[in-house]
Amino acid sequence: MRAAVLLKDVPDLVEDLELEESGQALAVDVLSYVPSEWDDQALEEALLLKEDGGGTGPVEVHAIAIDTGDIDAMLFSALAKGADSATKLTGDFDRGLTSRQRARILATYLEGQAFDLVLTGVQAVDDLDGQIAGLLAGYLHWPHASVVRDVAVEDGQVRFVQEYAGGVMGEFRADGPVVLGIQAARKPPRYVPIARIRQIQRTSSLSEVSMERPEDAGHLAVRRLYRPESSSHAAMWDGDVDAVAAAIRALLAEKQLGN
Amino acid sequence: MGLRTFLLLATAVMLVASVGVFGWRTWAIWAYVRRARPVVRWDRLSERLGQVVRHVLGHRRMFRITFSGLLHYFIFGGFVVLMLDIVETVGEVIHPGFSLGPILAPVVDVWVALVLIGIAMALYNRLVLRPERFHGSDERDAYIILALIGLIMVGIVVHDSFFPVVATAVFHAPPAVAASARSHFLGAGLANLWGALGLLTPPAAAIGYSVGYFLDIGLVLAFLAYLPYSKHFHIFLAVPNIFLQNLRPAGELLEEPAEDTIAIRSFSDLRWKDVMDLFTCTECGRCQAVCPAHAAGQPLSPKMVILDLRDALVRELGGKGEAPPLAGEVVSADALWACTTCGACQDACPVFIEHVPKIVGLRAALLEDGAVEPAAQKVLVSWERQGNSFGQPGRKRPEWAKVLDFPVKDARREEVDWLWFVGDFASYDPRAREMTRLVGELLHMADVDFGILYEGEVNSGNDALRIGEYGLFETLAQKNLKALNDASFSRVFTTDPHSLNALKNEYRKFGFERPVQHYTEAFQQLLQEGRLTVKPVPLRVTYHDPCYLGRWNHITEAPRALIRALGVDLVEMPRHGEQSFCCGAGGGRIWMDETGMEERPANQRIREALALDGVTHFVVACPKDVSMFSAAVTAMGVEDRIRVVDVAEILGVATGLVPEPGRSLVTAGA
Repeated sequence: MRAAVLLKDVPDLVEDLELEESGQALAVDVLSYVPSEWDDQALEEALLLKEDGGGTGPVEVHAIAIDTGDIDAMLFSALAKGADSATKLTGDFDRGLTSRQRARILATYLEGQAFDLVLTGVQAVDDLDGQIAGLLAGYLHWPHASVVRDVAVEDGQVRFVQEYAGGVMGEFRADGPVVLGIQAARKPPRYVPIARIRQIQRTSSLSEVSMERPEDAGHLAVRRLYRPESSSHAAMWDGDVDAVAAAIRALLAEKQLGN
Repeated sequence: MGLRTFLLLATAVMLVASVGVFGWRTWAIWAYVRRARPVVRWDRLSERLGQVVRHVLGHRRMFRITFSGLLHYFIFGGFVVLMLDIVETVGEVIHPGFSLGPILAPVVDVWVALVLIGIAMALYNRLVLRPERFHGSDERDAYIILALIGLIMVGIVVHDSFFPVVATAVFHAPPAVAASARSHFLGAGLANLWGALGLLTPPAAAIGYSVGYFLDIGLVLAFLAYLPYSKHFHIFLAVPNIFLQNLRPAGELLEEPAEDTIAIRSFSDLRWKDVMDLFTCTECGRCQAVCPAHAAGQPLSPKMVILDLRDALVRELGGKGEAPPLAGEVVSADALWACTTCGACQDACPVFIEHVPKIVGLRAALLEDGAVEPAAQKVLVSWERQGNSFGQPGRKRPEWAKVLDFPVKDARREEVDWLWFVGDFASYDPRAREMTRLVGELLHMADVDFGILYEGEVNSGNDALRIGEYGLFETLAQKNLKALNDASFSRVFTTDPHSLNALKNEYRKFGFERPVQHYTEAFQQLLQEGRLTVKPVPLRVTYHDPCYLGRWNHITEAPRALIRALGVDLVEMPRHGEQSFCCGAGGGRIWMDETGMEERPANQRIREALALDGVTHFVVACPKDVSMFSAAVTAMGVEDRIRVVDVAEILGVATGLVPEPGRSLVTAGA
């Protein structure tokens, strides 16, 4: 079974986000980027599938990413973790690609490849116009499920659990090819030492496939990006312990939460 | 066949057999030494010989436990004297006129008595005192060896007691030989007993002499064959191991940049000195006794790390197949992640075994297999992405400096005299940041031209390396080195001992060799130069030596001199200086899970301080210590009895910058 894992990097939310002067886009050039945490989960789930053995045959894991700049380390890291290959889709791409454009590029590439399973993160922090998994499955006319965990391969079919609101779960089977948006892997994503990544960089290479920039397949026009505006503020108590304790008591009494 | 011929033939047969068995085993061990990684340990000859004199003849580390040191000195001395006995005993059979003479012969007897006393003391130690450090050691082997040594001593006296009669009546030596043999006063005394029992007839004496001879020479040769199969191989390896000790800076974990990996997976991944270490271990347990993880009830004993590795290697030697994975199976992952890399084990080891590099190498193997401690993994990712352990943006690193009422220079842009490498905790930890600001104010007050690297600084990588992540350490080091190389300064100083260790010892392999000081050294110098005016601070305090300052970098006097110069009454804890007790934070432990810990090392340390009479302040010189010990004081509910303060805070009081020690945010309970 051949599994594709779609990876992307996203702005590091630890850093303060900055906006373009227009206020309509993130200032991508000053942001630092990290692998999307849900894609990390998808990769881990794929590697666990590979380690499980896949039942009827081995599971191959192929990492794929669109070259929007500086993604080599992420792909080499996937190889170091155990992916069988890593492919960079190159072209006239930048970090301003919309989810639809990304899905178009990926769909065009995947169409010609014999993958049985496509895993990617259920979402990314910079999805402005939908999540990749659903869009991609739509373009490819492949089955799709999102918010998925516990993926297994049984008798040539893919079995997985889809999460719903209120703690409800659904268990599914699908014949490949199928596209899954992964919520969480069975185990936390593994750590790969930097020395291992460097070793892989010396001994392996990334496949590069040139792709066309897709036509703009319908997009949302961003009017304004802005920070949350606070409508009320927290009251901070400080001073000596007795005064703070008295204030807490008074509040509990006022809210009728104490005895 | 005469008695002499019989004894000589028997000796020759025993010698060939013994040397054969010894050589066979030693050759097999040597094969592992040859296959191991290289390390240079033949340089600085005179210094090495000096260490041998200090630690072999002087028994310097052995005497840290007086009773054990003394008993070992008696037994160890006995082995030196035993050589004289062997020469004489075999010599007098080959040539009946041979003798040690009237001076050396009594010396042998004196030492025979001392060895017997030593054995009695060792038995008392093992049977009555029963120190915890022996837990896990092979006690059976210890008793076998003590019995062998005891029997050899008995044999010496027995053959000496019969020799005068055998010499004249059986060996037909001149009477002077028999007279000379009476210089062995123990033998002469025992001969009186034999005489009273009527056993000094030539046939009885010949039998008695033979019994003594075989107890002595026979057991010595049996001992020789047994040694490489026993912990007492240290008799051969201890002196070379002391000679071959690491003379490079103690705090340097790796001498050269690693090529690919520092992981220890098989015995050939060890350095050859590490293989020797395994067979040199005497199982004395001194490392175990000083290990903070062991004291905290965690599943680590540095002694058992060495013994488990040795036993696995011995099983391989015994043809029982290749050892299971060394990291995770031979030594458990829990034991490996429990290490604080404080180095107390290495410092306590009388035969200079190096535990920490092995533990770090085994950790690296775990890391490569994805078996990293979960909390440590988060920190590794933070270091990789943000360059600090707090997962905070790099831009926030210099935020502490913003509230100062003077600008702090950016050393990347303008020349400074002193470059301050601040470190993660001092930059991001809210309590430690108070201290950082105070240090900044003190430098300003002393009119020091200083600057920092702002967001150009990242974590030094000292702890990343000790978690086993060499590649990340190198990445962090290269980022810092770029910033350091771009800056113009005359010296570096740091408030963080972990950063100090990296800058001083670990960056050397990348070509960085600028002078690096700890801030206590720098401030002591400022005081001496009269650049800070201080008034006495009437406090009674104790001082805790951070491991990466005291033990790994031997900086123990500067903080003390600084504290005393401020008029403070300094009382030492029992464990101080290079024999300090770790707070439990090092080697990445500060971020790891503490589940199952019986009593945190920091709490044990605070208890140690509380036992001191009238001490009200616990002085530290490491930002991590501020955090660790403040938490300990709070957890123990002893805020009213002792306060945790940084050296800088006392300096702040002495200079009038801080109104009262223990009133700033760094103080526990404040």
